[in-house]
Amino acid sequence: MSLRAIRSHPLRSALTTLGVLIGVAAVISLVILGASLQAEVIDEVGGEDATQIYLWNAPEDAQGPPGSGARAVFTESDIDELRGINGVEGVAPYAPIGVDSLGHGGDTVAGGDTIATDPSYFAEEAIAEGRAFEQGEPEIVLTPQAAEGFDEEPAVGDQVTITFDDGSEAELTVVGILDSSEARSPFDGFGEGSRLYVPTEPYSRTTTESVGDEQRVYAQVVVSAEGPETVESVGVDLEEYLETESDAATLLPGGFVFEIQTNEELLEQVNDLLATLTGFITGIALISLLVGSIGIANVMLVSVTERTREIGIMKTVGAQNRDVLQLFLTEAAILGLLGAAAGALVGFAGGYIATQFIELPFVAPLEWAIIAVCVGIFVGIVAGLYPAWSAARTDPIDALRYE
Amino acid sequence: MDATGEEPAVVLDGVTKTYRLGEPIDALSSVSLSVPNGSYTAIMGPSGSGKSTLMNLVGCLDRPTDGRVLVDGRDVGALSERDRTALRGRTVGFVFQTFNLMPRLSALENVSLPLVFQGVSRRKRRERAGELLSRVGLGERTDHRPNQLSGGQRQRVAIARALVADPAIVLADEPTGNLDTGTGDEVLELFCELHGEGRTIVVVTHERDVAEHAERIVHVLDGEIEGIETLGAHRPVGTET
Repeated sequence: MSLRAIRSHPLRSALTTLGVLIGVAAVISLVILGASLQAEVIDEVGGEDATQIYLWNAPEDAQGPPGSGARAVFTESDIDELRGINGVEGVAPYAPIGVDSLGHGGDTVAGGDTIATDPSYFAEEAIAEGRAFEQGEPEIVLTPQAAEGFDEEPAVGDQVTITFDDGSEAELTVVGILDSSEARSPFDGFGEGSRLYVPTEPYSRTTTESVGDEQRVYAQVVVSAEGPETVESVGVDLEEYLETESDAATLLPGGFVFEIQTNEELLEQVNDLLATLTGFITGIALISLLVGSIGIANVMLVSVTERTREIGIMKTVGAQNRDVLQLFLTEAAILGLLGAAAGALVGFAGGYIATQFIELPFVAPLEWAIIAVCVGIFVGIVAGLYPAWSAARTDPIDALRYE
Repeated sequence: MDATGEEPAVVLDGVTKTYRLGEPIDALSSVSLSVPNGSYTAIMGPSGSGKSTLMNLVGCLDRPTDGRVLVDGRDVGALSERDRTALRGRTVGFVFQTFNLMPRLSALENVSLPLVFQGVSRRKRRERAGELLSRVGLGERTDHRPNQLSGGQRQRVAIARALVADPAIVLADEPTGNLDTGTGDEVLELFCELHGEGRTIVVVTHERDVAEHAERIVHVLDGEIEGIETLGAHRPVGTET
């Protein structure tokens, strides 16, 4: 009978459940986004990346992802000095360079993200075919996605033509294809991408003469420690060198500070961000569910008033107070349930679309669907308590007289 | 106990009902009445005479301010609300002037409604309701909703509902008030048949035509019983006085 009452006012019922629907959908899609982001970060940060330290500079108090706003201040001699720090295995400067297009076998594609770096940027096992490039050689390493961009995929040993944004061209030999197109450091961004890696010598062209001889300068540097246990001490030594003796300290503009971050810190930051996000989501959810429950309570009150006569009839023919209470509570619970179930569907769909859109792996926390449904029923029952109670205590004589 | 030695269906013993709306008003004052089992009683009086109050008391919808109301041998005033509701569901079948059917339920569901609250299984409810709809001549219209039925048909659904729990008393409040003469007569004919089957019928009305179908008429005026008129022969439906 409760179902029938809901079905007899489809539009009203649908609008009533909208509050709960929006709340649940918002929470679920954001939870999916959070979980997916976390999965992606953990996936990247774990394993080989655990020994990496990221170095850049940024205006003091600047917010933003690693590397954003960095100025080219780390010179070649700084890089050499860093290589000499105890516990450091490799230092890879990281310099995005402007590339207009890439040609192979008569096929030309847009350049993608091209990065001049050092062979130590790649772990040996990350190269699926071939080897890392060598400094000073016209060699290039591609992500699988970059290779797939061509009609005829370039293989190890093939020649590709690279056109820089100043119009000059260079012939490079493909020496390696990576095992995945995933980002290798936070400087690469997140997710899969079409990326090209070339040696800094000769392709990184940003230089300075202000500290003695003309030499290359970089905005971002990836330092690999020998093992996870040395990461911390390397970080300390790194900072000490940079602050005191480095060219970078001289070149650093006023108001800028060095940023040194390990993956562990990065993970902590992401978790902090997610915690903030979760608090925010919970706030939205609570407000939305509150609004939703007020909506349900309101409609239930209207429904009880409208059906005063029906309540009178039921009580006259022997319905007990608890029968009437149960009837209206069921109706309210069904409204809540419908809202939550629809919200869960919309939320999962929204979360899926969002993760696809920003190229994160889709992680669906299914337990949230169950939580949503329980919350929906709970909200419905709480909202329906007063209306159902007032229906149950209706006096049958008055109710039958009600027009 | 009446003359036959059988317990009466309803006994009112010095019943007073006082409404307190500012000044206390006695809707009924010291009314005593016995409705024997299997009798057909009409309660007649103008509006405001207290006949509705009387009906609410007999129907276990209300409790007396003073005095005792016994329905099927049980003291209504002494029962909890819960027990009173249960007694009402089992013992009294109601027929109203405005039919009072559930608009969203089919005829069959309307008829079986009282059994829902008595915990009767769905299969048995449908079986019993189907039988009664056939009994009142609506066996073909079980799935119709009230708004798809004529006034006379609706009142017959209501009568079937009143009978579904096999109550001791059928209590009708102006049952022909919203019907034209023809269909009203059909409904009154149905009451005569039910009376013939041995059921206790109480009809509340202000129309003498309707009251005259009963065995006796209880005249109510200003909250008191003015007189009880016993009708000799049972007047066949449709004949004029």
